[in-house]
Amino acid sequence: MNQNLKTGRWLLGPGIAFGALLLTSPTAATAEVSDAAFNALKEAVQKLSEQVQSLTQTNQLVQQQHEKDVQKLQELQAKLAETQQTAADADQKSTAAAQAAAQAAAQPAPRSPIDEATVNHNFQILGDAEFQYVNADHQNGSFVQGDFAPIFLYRGGDNILFEAGFDTTIANNAPNGGGETTTFNLSFAQLDYVVNDYLTFCAGEMLLPLGTYSERGAGWLNKIPDDPLAVDALLPGSGVGAQLRGAVPLGETGKLFNYSVFCVNGPGSSDGTGNAGSLDLGGNVGRRSDGALANLHNNPGGGGRFAVFLPFYKPRYDLELGVSAEASEWDNAGSHLWTAGVLDASLHLGPNLEIKGEYIATRFGSDDLGIINQNGWWVQAGYKLAGLNVELPGLNNLELLGRYDSLHDGLGTTTDRYTIGAVYYVTTALLLEGDYEFIRSTDPTQPSNQLLLQISYGF
Amino acid sequence: MHMTTLKSFKTRGRIVFGALLLGGLASRLWAAEPATSAAAANANAVVADSRATNAAPAAVKPHLTGAELYSIHCNRCHAERYPTERTAAQWKTIMLHMQVRANLPGKQARLILQYLQENSGR
Repeated sequence: MNQNLKTGRWLLGPGIAFGALLLTSPTAATAEVSDAAFNALKEAVQKLSEQVQSLTQTNQLVQQQHEKDVQKLQELQAKLAETQQTAADADQKSTAAAQAAAQAAAQPAPRSPIDEATVNHNFQILGDAEFQYVNADHQNGSFVQGDFAPIFLYRGGDNILFEAGFDTTIANNAPNGGGETTTFNLSFAQLDYVVNDYLTFCAGEMLLPLGTYSERGAGWLNKIPDDPLAVDALLPGSGVGAQLRGAVPLGETGKLFNYSVFCVNGPGSSDGTGNAGSLDLGGNVGRRSDGALANLHNNPGGGGRFAVFLPFYKPRYDLELGVSAEASEWDNAGSHLWTAGVLDASLHLGPNLEIKGEYIATRFGSDDLGIINQNGWWVQAGYKLAGLNVELPGLNNLELLGRYDSLHDGLGTTTDRYTIGAVYYVTTALLLEGDYEFIRSTDPTQPSNQLLLQISYGF
Repeated sequence: MHMTTLKSFKTRGRIVFGALLLGGLASRLWAAEPATSAAAANANAVVADSRATNAAPAAVKPHLTGAELYSIHCNRCHAERYPTERTAAQWKTIMLHMQVRANLPGKQARLILQYLQENSGR
């Protein structure tokens, strides 16, 4: 306690002395500023402020311009990239074009499209060709026939068609005969004028609509190498005259009513007489058998076919039924009438099964034998083995066929024929056909059986 | 009865029976409505149409298309000829021939022609 009091006495003295010193020491003298200097300084500050403001504004403008320049630069860079891409594409195309040109130069020049109105498009050749081999009993097998049957089509407009079919045939002569025969026949030559959707006018040497075989079953359309007996023996395949034909739809499901009515010269007499053996089914051109320039008969003949086509269930299921007839004088004198009637039917049960046939009856008067009644019929069935759905090589291209046909010629000869065969479709138009026929006939010249092989091509 | 008359009677009887049978079948089919399918055969398959089609029949449509008419008509007499076998202009001449030969209505022939031309590829 005494020590602390002594320290305090010692501090008190210097402290009083320091305080006195502070109170008496002089302060910094205040400088005096004149009004002029202040105003000058103020003015200077204002100027500086204005300059700063101006610089600030200028800086803002420069900044904005800079931003615009940056944007412009970006746009130019984008355009440059696009231009470079375009140039690269053009270069690539140029290279490809050059390569294509080089390739094209190495190949034949392509044909330019042919104008619709030129003759080439309006003119077409269709048709078929057959080549046949036959081995009949009691005879040597041989190649017996080559047949080339072109059909020439010329379209004279949207509604006019000229069509003609020819048969050029080389064939062996009949058994016990010698040499070969070459024939060139006009099968048909007609003008077709489509009047409207339901009516067509035809004129010329026409395939006759007696049944359907002549129009739609001959040539390569026949899957069996030879024709049905009754068709060849009893019916004229063609006639010279005029025809009206057409089809009328029955609803919108594909059903049709077909009609054909025709007027033709009709069959003729090979020697002008009315003897039964002189009947010439193909003699209908218009010149009498005695060479006289006169009507073939006193009056022309005529006929027609009416049919219905009935698709059912689904496509390739259909039934067609038709009835047709023709009547005509046949001898030069016009004393005797020749008539024919045909019932035809065709049934498809899917893409693999087909059944069709015709019944044919004819009747004609004669000088020597009176009334001659002839008849015959045929029925044919075909089944494509693709319908079995068996994956064996070649099986899907094979079709099995069978046919029965019969002929009574009204002169005492009766023939029945049973045929089994097959077709191999190399393509849809190239057919390899083969059949074996069992023949029962009262004609002693007929073989009992025979093997037929045929190559048939439709074009 | 005389043999010739008996034979003639039997023949006529067969004819009448056959006509009645076919007539009855035709009347049934007349009433049947065909179900249409839009598919036509593959243009490049040989005898592809021979494959059995087991698809159920589609409902009846008011109008048949060119492809359907081609499927119905163009293999009745011969195997199908594929559209690619001819040019469009050649088909025009050929279809006029087929319209006459097959006795097709004009409208159906045009629809078939259109189908052939559109699928000819040339």
